[in-house]
Amino acid sequence: MICGVRFCGGCNPRYERGDALEKIRKHFLGRVDFPYAEEDVVYDLLLVIGGCSSCCASHCQYEARGDRVIMWDQSHIEEVINKIESIITDQRREII
Amino acid sequence: MLMTAEQYVESLRKLNTRVYMFGEKIENWVDHPMIRPSINCVAMTYKLAEDPQYADLMTVKSSLTGETINRFAHLHQSTDDLRKKVKMQRLLGQKTASCFQRCVGMDAFNAVFSTTFEIDQKYGTEYHKRFTEYLKFVQKNDLVVDGAMTDPKGDRSKAPSQQEDPDFFLHIVEKRPDGIVVRGAKAHQTGSINSHEHLIMPTIAMTEADKSYAVSFAIESDAEGLFMIYGRQSCDTRKMEEGADIDLGNKNFGGQEALVVFDNVFIPNERVFLCEEWDFAGMMVERFAGYHRQSYGGCKVGVGDVVIGAAALAADYNGANKASHVKDKLIEMTHLNETLYCCGIACSAEGYPTAAGNYQIDLLLANVCKQNITRFPYEIVRLAEDIGGGLMVTMPAEKDFKSDTKVGRNGETIGDICNKYFGGSPVTSTENRMRILRFLENICLGSSAVGYRTESLHGAGSPQAQRIMIARQGNIEAKKELAKVIAGIKE
Repeated sequence: MICGVRFCGGCNPRYERGDALEKIRKHFLGRVDFPYAEEDVVYDLLLVIGGCSSCCASHCQYEARGDRVIMWDQSHIEEVINKIESIITDQRREII
Repeated sequence: MLMTAEQYVESLRKLNTRVYMFGEKIENWVDHPMIRPSINCVAMTYKLAEDPQYADLMTVKSSLTGETINRFAHLHQSTDDLRKKVKMQRLLGQKTASCFQRCVGMDAFNAVFSTTFEIDQKYGTEYHKRFTEYLKFVQKNDLVVDGAMTDPKGDRSKAPSQQEDPDFFLHIVEKRPDGIVVRGAKAHQTGSINSHEHLIMPTIAMTEADKSYAVSFAIESDAEGLFMIYGRQSCDTRKMEEGADIDLGNKNFGGQEALVVFDNVFIPNERVFLCEEWDFAGMMVERFAGYHRQSYGGCKVGVGDVVIGAAALAADYNGANKASHVKDKLIEMTHLNETLYCCGIACSAEGYPTAAGNYQIDLLLANVCKQNITRFPYEIVRLAEDIGGGLMVTMPAEKDFKSDTKVGRNGETIGDICNKYFGGSPVTSTENRMRILRFLENICLGSSAVGYRTESLHGAGSPQAQRIMIARQGNIEAKKELAKVIAGIKE
């Protein structure tokens, strides 16, 4: 599975956005790739990482077959992991 | 095509820009210790554009070509673009604690773009087409452009055409079939030496008598007849001291201003965007000033973030961080800084499209933003000095802290003595305490105070300029009517 990543611009982030991505990346090591999102690529998922509640990152320009998972707080890391896990599980069910 | 930070620095070496300092020509100005920190600041605008963690603010799709460009070369297409401009400036202020110099060009692009459109509508000229082509060239090559407005101005009580010396305002001295020749100067130009190009605008609204002063054009920084004289900053020669580090406060970054002199410089027609249409000089000035007053609601806030952080660290290192008055001062600094940010965001959110299609900020709110900028950074540094303590200006030099000259009865060195007596809380080393206090000294009254204090006061127009605009935009008559209705006055 490939999950494109888009960060907000980081003008006043309330947590280390890069560290958050690393934690998520580490959890899904070998199962999900997390490249930085590019246009003209279709991703399975898109992860948008904002630094505060305004979460102003632009992401409409990127294509994803599945959900756009959006986070803007350190406390969301667990939620994001659970969300991606459930998407993986659902995909497996579909294949079976 | 986006340049890397390294490519930007190398591109400066290819220019033949004439730079003078301390009465002499500086041949290798790119590596000069007094100039290089300001180049590093501009380089940061390229470096962050390469980083996915900052690209959402630093890059954008060009409205002219559809290509990805640095936001500093962008024409704002929405209020979201205007807000992201402010956020980008806050980010760069945080990363440099200095003026990063590239905003004047961005603000000039947007002002000249919309004004030339309206000049062409009235006079049937082709300035807008010329400027659009020029901007495509800038975007394609990812250039730094100094948006240059401020003339030396001579006797402030007189119009350009009434000055004793006609060169006190930059003016057209000759019109040729293929272009114009200009003479004069632009004063205290931020980042001029670090710019590939200059985009010149008039400095005030004009009358017909001043029409030869109503001129806007673009020119290469190393054009024939153009040269720059570097502006001094408080404590600037500390940067020339061998091995200087801690005493500089901010070793890697700094601002830059220069006098840019036009000694009969030829400008080809395709780079002329205003030529004697005096009735549009005021519009160009007002629009540029509006954008630039918005800009300060981003850049100075970013620097303020670093100042607040430094004051909080100084409190930690002094062992004063638990004192209630120190906590309250940090709250006050934050309140002042975020108020400035509110102003920057508000004037952006209330922006509107010009006839040319790019977005202009709300003028009243942008002027309120800048008026606050003329005050709040002064209070922020006052509080920072209060928290930091007098040591930031009485401490011995870095060389003393590192000296092994024996001075004590038991063989203690000057370094031993300094490190002993200037130690603070055990949470950190004496050196770290010295570093943060030197940073505060630099930003409060050293070379960086040029950018954080005096530039906040006079940059983008002195306080009275904003008060004039606030008076014009303040809608007092409508407010009187509101009061009459509430008070039951019928007249």
